[in-house]
Amino acid sequence: MAERNLEQLEKIREVVSQDLLSGRIELLLGWEKGHYWWQSRPLFARSKDDLAKLTWDSFCAVNLSRYLLEELKDHQKVGVLVKGCDSRAFNRLLQDNMVERDRVVLYGLPCPGILDYKLLAAEAGPELKGIAEENGKIVLKTASGEVEVKRDQFLMAKCRECLYPDPVVYDQMLLEPQGKKEAPERFKAVDELETLTPEERFAYWEKELSRCLRCYACRQACPYCSCRECFVEQENPRWQGRAYQPSENFLFHLVRAYHGAGRCIDCGECQRACPVDIPLQELNRKLIKDINELYGDYEAGLDAELEPPLLTYRPDDPAAFSEK
Amino acid sequence: MKKMITTDNLTELWARLAEESTLYLPVQDGPMVLFQPWQEGVQVDLEAFNSAVSPKDIFLPREETYLNYRCSGQALELDAVEDDRAITAFGIHPCDLKAIEMLDRVFIEQDPPDNLYQKRRENTTVVALSCTNPDPFCFCGVFDVNPLDAPGADVMAHLVDGSLHLEARTEKGKALLEKAGDLLEDSTVDIAKREVKTADFGLNVKGLPEDLKSRFEDPVWDELYKSCLSCGVCTYVCPTCYCFDVEDYGHEAKGERFRCWDSCMFGHFTQMAGGHNPRPSRKERVRQRFMHKLQYYHEAYGEIACVGCGRCLRSCPVNLDIVQAIKALGGEKVEQR
Amino acid sequence: MSTALNDKTTGYEPLIVAFCCNWCSYAGGDLAGTSRMSYPANVRVIRVPCCGRMNPMFVLRAFQRGADGVLVAGCHPGDCHYSTGNYHGRRRLSAFKRLVEFAGFEPERFEVRWISSSEGDKFAEEMEQMTAKIKALGPNRKMRDARWQSVT
Repeated sequence: MAERNLEQLEKIREVVSQDLLSGRIELLLGWEKGHYWWQSRPLFARSKDDLAKLTWDSFCAVNLSRYLLEELKDHQKVGVLVKGCDSRAFNRLLQDNMVERDRVVLYGLPCPGILDYKLLAAEAGPELKGIAEENGKIVLKTASGEVEVKRDQFLMAKCRECLYPDPVVYDQMLLEPQGKKEAPERFKAVDELETLTPEERFAYWEKELSRCLRCYACRQACPYCSCRECFVEQENPRWQGRAYQPSENFLFHLVRAYHGAGRCIDCGECQRACPVDIPLQELNRKLIKDINELYGDYEAGLDAELEPPLLTYRPDDPAAFSEK
Repeated sequence: MKKMITTDNLTELWARLAEESTLYLPVQDGPMVLFQPWQEGVQVDLEAFNSAVSPKDIFLPREETYLNYRCSGQALELDAVEDDRAITAFGIHPCDLKAIEMLDRVFIEQDPPDNLYQKRRENTTVVALSCTNPDPFCFCGVFDVNPLDAPGADVMAHLVDGSLHLEARTEKGKALLEKAGDLLEDSTVDIAKREVKTADFGLNVKGLPEDLKSRFEDPVWDELYKSCLSCGVCTYVCPTCYCFDVEDYGHEAKGERFRCWDSCMFGHFTQMAGGHNPRPSRKERVRQRFMHKLQYYHEAYGEIACVGCGRCLRSCPVNLDIVQAIKALGGEKVEQR
Repeated sequence: MSTALNDKTTGYEPLIVAFCCNWCSYAGGDLAGTSRMSYPANVRVIRVPCCGRMNPMFVLRAFQRGADGVLVAGCHPGDCHYSTGNYHGRRRLSAFKRLVEFAGFEPERFEVRWISSSEGDKFAEEMEQMTAKIKALGPNRKMRDARWQSVT
């Protein structure tokens, strides 16, 4: 891995070791390497030995904030490494009263965007041995030599239109912030779908949703899906049938997306988690776009004090019905 | 009987097979390859390493209605649903075919057998396809699967230099090649010379099932589950997972009973009517899944219920997969225990 | 609901499900009735306490089980029996309407109207209009559960 990453990692490890060993936190949520250099998985560190496994590189995709829901049951004080989106996820949980702020120590990690191995491998071929990074460039190392490419083109779908790479809530910022980013194409896919006829749009979703396995990974990975009982499992009334009928798939996906109206932080974990690549962010972003259009700009998770748009109203609100 | 068919003629072959049977093959669907019924114009991908979801749903569909009921007063009418279709499963990789044979033990080699599954299996001709292009997650060698040969196939196929080389191994397989008839030429290519390298992640599972017998309360389980999100990805993409649920659709007077996939990773999987849940947390559920693969299935049928297809490694959103589990439980080449 | 209602060869009659707020629109419907105004029998009214109580799954379930159009009717903004229920409902149902349209439903299939308890005439007229629009649009097949008709 590149030197920059190693330097950063040392700095992170130093700070969190201190806190963990001094007892300021009982547990640190971080990342460790997976089977390959382009994989990572959550690390639950309680000791110095655990911290030796800690990693920070361009493949730390998993949003760790969600694990607080479980870990705060067993630990009094938990430290979490948060990227921009993870910090907004934390705000989301805070707003839903799912976590207590003073029992969590947030270590901020400004994030350059997570890289997608599939894209890297498609460019370099299966011989890809590793990468090095510098100044917005990636060097792809293969058996037959090195190729330099632009970093932006190899970001995960969920990172490509990121507005806030810097953590928005933290106790300690560990690295240099990068500032707000532009996301000119954030609503591009939504806009394009809106130009289709209803028939075409329905056909599009019917095809995309036909792959759905109902594994509920989108829900489980999501920081706003923190209901103690989801409508999917509710027995009486039984809203969600188990069958793989198109109508059942539509019900699940429309309701899942709608439950995030005004709450979705657009982190894209749902789409990343999906084993059959359903473009779930398009549904989420449709709601974000419309709510912003109708009820004023609002970015969920930016500020836990701001009331989400669907929890409030103004007497002179516009409506989207044919009678206003 | 060794034959070959050029890729130009494959579409014609598929059209013929599809006339007389439901033909499933690896099809490009959006960004991925999945096993789907053939129809004119689909994009078949025989070079894909592995379909995103295993082809088990050819035999164990995600959902199937098996009973229709009608009720008036005291009278109850039940109609069993039959599936008599002839099926051709084309392009099944050796790992997936071995997995299907594992399902056979659960659904057929029982008394009574599951007649829907059994019938579909009997009505199916399997054209297995050797692997040309394993990806970094394929580790079938660990479980003694040969990526170049599937012993249970009716026809064994190899894709070499743009042609598909076919060898019929059963009567069903011969019948299939007869249908192809004029599209085939004699094959002279020596398949045995090919070599395919797969990963092994340094695993050695010898003795692991026996060892796990006494490790239900092992401290490994207290850590391993922590990253699990409780979604069902691993079980649904897995070729050897076969749990299902039964549900009714309809009302008192009329309706149908169907079964559909279910996952032991869901909290509600073991929820009982009275409210008790014997596997209340992720720990018990993760332990159940891996113990089932590595110990329970082995105890019942003499084999580990994993074929190294790599799907859970590819799809788990948090990389909590069977390789990580085996490693955590000590199944590594370097003797650690 | 009856299959005959949805069969073009037997003369297509759409099925409209109208969720009416207990305090205004449902009473508006009552007034239409007691004033002997007529409105199409295609409309099946379901009473809800307030349009702010609308769960989006009510609407989707109606579509799954045979509705060709769904109408939600509540008090005029400012007149809510619970002070703010319809203000909240307005935001939520606006977002929801856009979402179902995004999923491929024609805009006419799902509508929201404000009908007070003194507007029996508006109630009858809206039901008339909704029915006419859906009739012109034809039967809805989107999200209809394929199994529903076989068990009814």
